[in-house]
Amino acid sequence: MGDAARALIGSPRTRPALLFALALALYLAPFAVGTEYRLFIATQMAAYVLVAIGLNLLNGYGGQVSLGHGALVAIGAYTVALAMVDHQWSFWPATLLAMVAAAAVGAVMALPAFRLSTWYFALITLGFAEVVGGLLTEWRELTHGFAGVVGIPKPGVLGHTLTSFDLYWLALSLNILALLGMANLLRSRFGRALVAVRDNPVAATAAGVALVRIKMMAFVVSAAMAGLAGALFAVQKTVVTPDDFTADFSIFFLLMVVLGGAGRLWGPVVGAVVFFLVPELLTALQSWRMLIYGVALLLLMLYAPHGLVGAIETGWKRLRTRLGLSNIPPAPSTAIARETVHPIAGAALSVRDVEKRFGGVSALAGVSLDVAAGTTHAIVGPNGSGKTTLLNMISGFYPIDGGAILIDGRSVVGMAPHRIARSGVGRTFQTPRMLPQLSVLDNALLGAFPAERQGAAAAALSLPRARREQMASLGDALRYLDFVGLADRAMEPAGELPHGQQRLAEIARALVGRPRLLLLDEPAAGLSLAELDRLGELIAAIGALGTTVVIVEHHLELVANICRSVTVLERGAVLASGTPAEVFSHEEVIAAYMGSHSSVGQAAS
Amino acid sequence: MSANDLLQVSGLEVGYGHVGVLRGVDLAVSEGEIVALVGSNGAGKSTLLRAISGLLRPSAGRIVFAGQDIAGQPPHRIIDLGLLHVAEGRRLFRRQNVHANLELGLYGARLDRAVERQRYDFVYELFPMLAERPQALAGVLSGGQQQMLAIAQALMRQPKLLMLDEPSLGLAPIVVDQVMEVLQRLRAAGTTILLVEQMVERALDIADHAYVLQNGAVIGSGTPQAIRAGDLIRRAYLGALSDREA
Amino acid sequence: MDLDLLVGALTAGSLYALVAMGFNILYRPTNVFNFAQGDLVMLGAMFGATFITLLGLPWFVGAALAMLAVAALALVEEKIAVAPVLKNSASSHGWVITTLAVSMIFANLVGLGWGPDPIAVRPPAPLSTDTFELFGANISSYQIAVMVITVVLVLGVEAFYGTRSGKAVLAVAEDRDAALLRGINPNRLSSWSFFLGGGVAALTGVLAAPVLYASTGLGPSLLLKGFAAAAVGGIGNNRGALLAGYIIGLVEAVAAALLSPGYQLAATFAVMLAILLVRPHGLFGRAEARAV
Repeated sequence: MGDAARALIGSPRTRPALLFALALALYLAPFAVGTEYRLFIATQMAAYVLVAIGLNLLNGYGGQVSLGHGALVAIGAYTVALAMVDHQWSFWPATLLAMVAAAAVGAVMALPAFRLSTWYFALITLGFAEVVGGLLTEWRELTHGFAGVVGIPKPGVLGHTLTSFDLYWLALSLNILALLGMANLLRSRFGRALVAVRDNPVAATAAGVALVRIKMMAFVVSAAMAGLAGALFAVQKTVVTPDDFTADFSIFFLLMVVLGGAGRLWGPVVGAVVFFLVPELLTALQSWRMLIYGVALLLLMLYAPHGLVGAIETGWKRLRTRLGLSNIPPAPSTAIARETVHPIAGAALSVRDVEKRFGGVSALAGVSLDVAAGTTHAIVGPNGSGKTTLLNMISGFYPIDGGAILIDGRSVVGMAPHRIARSGVGRTFQTPRMLPQLSVLDNALLGAFPAERQGAAAAALSLPRARREQMASLGDALRYLDFVGLADRAMEPAGELPHGQQRLAEIARALVGRPRLLLLDEPAAGLSLAELDRLGELIAAIGALGTTVVIVEHHLELVANICRSVTVLERGAVLASGTPAEVFSHEEVIAAYMGSHSSVGQAAS
Repeated sequence: MSANDLLQVSGLEVGYGHVGVLRGVDLAVSEGEIVALVGSNGAGKSTLLRAISGLLRPSAGRIVFAGQDIAGQPPHRIIDLGLLHVAEGRRLFRRQNVHANLELGLYGARLDRAVERQRYDFVYELFPMLAERPQALAGVLSGGQQQMLAIAQALMRQPKLLMLDEPSLGLAPIVVDQVMEVLQRLRAAGTTILLVEQMVERALDIADHAYVLQNGAVIGSGTPQAIRAGDLIRRAYLGALSDREA
Repeated sequence: MDLDLLVGALTAGSLYALVAMGFNILYRPTNVFNFAQGDLVMLGAMFGATFITLLGLPWFVGAALAMLAVAALALVEEKIAVAPVLKNSASSHGWVITTLAVSMIFANLVGLGWGPDPIAVRPPAPLSTDTFELFGANISSYQIAVMVITVVLVLGVEAFYGTRSGKAVLAVAEDRDAALLRGINPNRLSSWSFFLGGGVAALTGVLAAPVLYASTGLGPSLLLKGFAAAAVGGIGNNRGALLAGYIIGLVEAVAAALLSPGYQLAATFAVMLAILLVRPHGLFGRAEARAV
């Protein structure tokens, strides 16, 4: 391949221009090829695309399979139809009502499901679709039964009734807005939180993300889009009947998303286009259609889980590799200088007589320790002595069986872990909990979730204040990645970093949340000697920021070098506490580690 | 390596994804010995045991047990050969009772009823506290009892080689004494043992031979006396605690 | 209370409990909730109808052949749609979509092969669907048989979990790695569980056929009602499923009597959601341990 091709493939600048040209072509297309039938199909397709984009947010990014989106479309369509025909509402408020109705009914249905495993949600939405389908015929007083609602008027604007051309442009504009909004939303804290909830709920919780709330947010957005699509559907067809919303209707949307590429921005668009084109080619095989869809769904999940767009991406990456181009995008150029990180006011930690039992085993039997604000404290002890359990209680991951935990004098007992995280407690895990598919930078940005205040609407619209906040977080993330020494790997997928660097990235993520109390669980485990030195310096630097650090660690040299005080746990109780020098000369401490009294002198001499 | 090696590991490499955890480990366990494997957390001890018992697939190297290369074999094949692994953290079936846990130790063994009876008798005699509460759920036992049950479960297959991962974890010293005593009795009865233990001194007290693992590689081996005499342990395990006090 | 209503509720509830038990059998070793389970039941009914009504085979022979055929299909499902997904990532929920796809394939293949018309199936020889009066209720000998067989089957399957193989299945459900270290091969157990679950599904279908007729429409409705019974009873708990099946049957019967038959599903769904809202793991289930 020549240099020109390489330049074309290598340049990211051509994309906005191409997309603009595509949009323009779609706006102008009706003048060239616009027959009534084609406009009808195109508008219908645009309505479907809208549903699929929303479903992709929930399914592709949130990992929740909804088999009830068809019913949400039905609710939107019937709301508009009934409001306009039976109550003479105009289209626009009726559409708003349709979106609210779809979101509200959906939320009530989804609430119990989101507290349970993913597949409960799939089944409950499937049931929901059946129930709604049944009620459309059964609840005759409201829905007019089998006959449906006929004579839905076309929407009007300032006395002008929209033509089929206008409807097409309206639908197309809504698609473009939805895609732009979705792209913004996915780039914001919500996109990262959603992926975190899908791929690593524990990491999400530790970053302060409320799991049920974020899933509910995705679902409500997705349901409102389905309601909007339903409104378009109703005025475009002018008639809605129960037959429009069969059980298969919901499956179609899932198929579009999976076919095009779940978790890919353009997936649902590509999926919908293919979904509409193929049946035209397969009209002879009408009775085989659902069977073919079933087979397609199975094969796609097995062999192309990210659909057509995912397959294209893979091919594109291979092509770039063959051309010797890097697949790692350049780091964002931010105007913010990488000034030094700001000091943090540390919080005091007080643990009083904490108890924890697992079945017949007592993991913590009345542990107490105090850590002064702004100091670095170590918890050491043999494996199984309850160190990690204690961290899990402080950060709220395990419920407490007895005792009290106070952070700056405020009890955190009974608080949900994401709330504790939001109150300024950051933590890392024994095995780093990264989101392997996201970049190191995105992983670090997840840490900014609790600090950012923007709502989903502000994020989707990319309002100036949301953008300012995002730039500030980006600056923070880059700064802390620089702080831990990973600035040059910011754009690599986190899963491809070696173990030691994943640990550092995890620490950076915790720091981006600017924790007043940072809990580190065995940060030295599995590090090489060189990495160990860097880790020691890093923890000392974090301590110097002012953050209170509690570190669970086996590596006593590290502990002795960086900690002001140490608590030794053994079998769930405090064996000793004090300065490292006091504690490590304690005979029983060494005995606890070595397991034998006789040889302490030998080992320590 | 000698002819009476029951287990020979050579050049073993294991990685999780891009991350190499074991980097060319060589190790041998002779028949009838207790071999201790020590090293700090994250050194790769558990990963080594998991690779030997077939839970992890090594990316390179050989694992020869009783004359057969078992690298990459599924766990149930390896167990059939008589190599049993008691995992870290007392991985019992907590919702089932003591007797059911022991019965699961016999899964796939296809033995006569009389032989099975003997096995139960053997472990109940070795661990009388289990015989007292055969119907108790494993989850409500104390930590020490759970550890005993986990060992007993593996003994139901009458292993040639028993691998134990941190049996002292979270146990009171007196219970650790009991565990160590059981291991010595098992050795006397002819069972070979590979012991991963953080309580180095306890392990060295009963071991015939020891290996020191650091950062996924063996940095030394020898008799307990030799290991104690050198500074390997200080380097690999205690960090600078001993240096500072020296 | 109307006793006839109670009879109908318990009969239907028994069938829902059996569907739920089929789910549970597959779920225990695999943590997979089979979306094609309703279609396996439907296939059981269709095969039963074919062998017994269309080919005129003796009831027991027809039922046994139907069970064997459906068990084999369930095994195929496990091999092509479940095992490959779990192999890639044991925690992925890709199987939700693959088993749904299998459900679509089964339903449409049956639609193409048998057509849309329901087929009537007679009950086995001494039993009949003719009702007689017993303690003031109209009941048929076949309804009594369905209720009794259901209880016996639930107790029988529970007894299986007392055997060594059954304990191994429970062991895999609790801790897959620990089970591997005891020589238990989870892949084999999950294949066997699909085979067994397929057989139970087919028997459910054959038993349901004289009451509900055999048709393709059976799949989706039994999938949902079976799920409701399984979820309300606590996933994995067969005795819970039996009681929950009766509850679902009663809710349906009451909804049909007080509102109209069209509201049956809505009422069932509402009751299920309400129960899950208060007790997310069902009436008799327990929360899974947290993994941190």
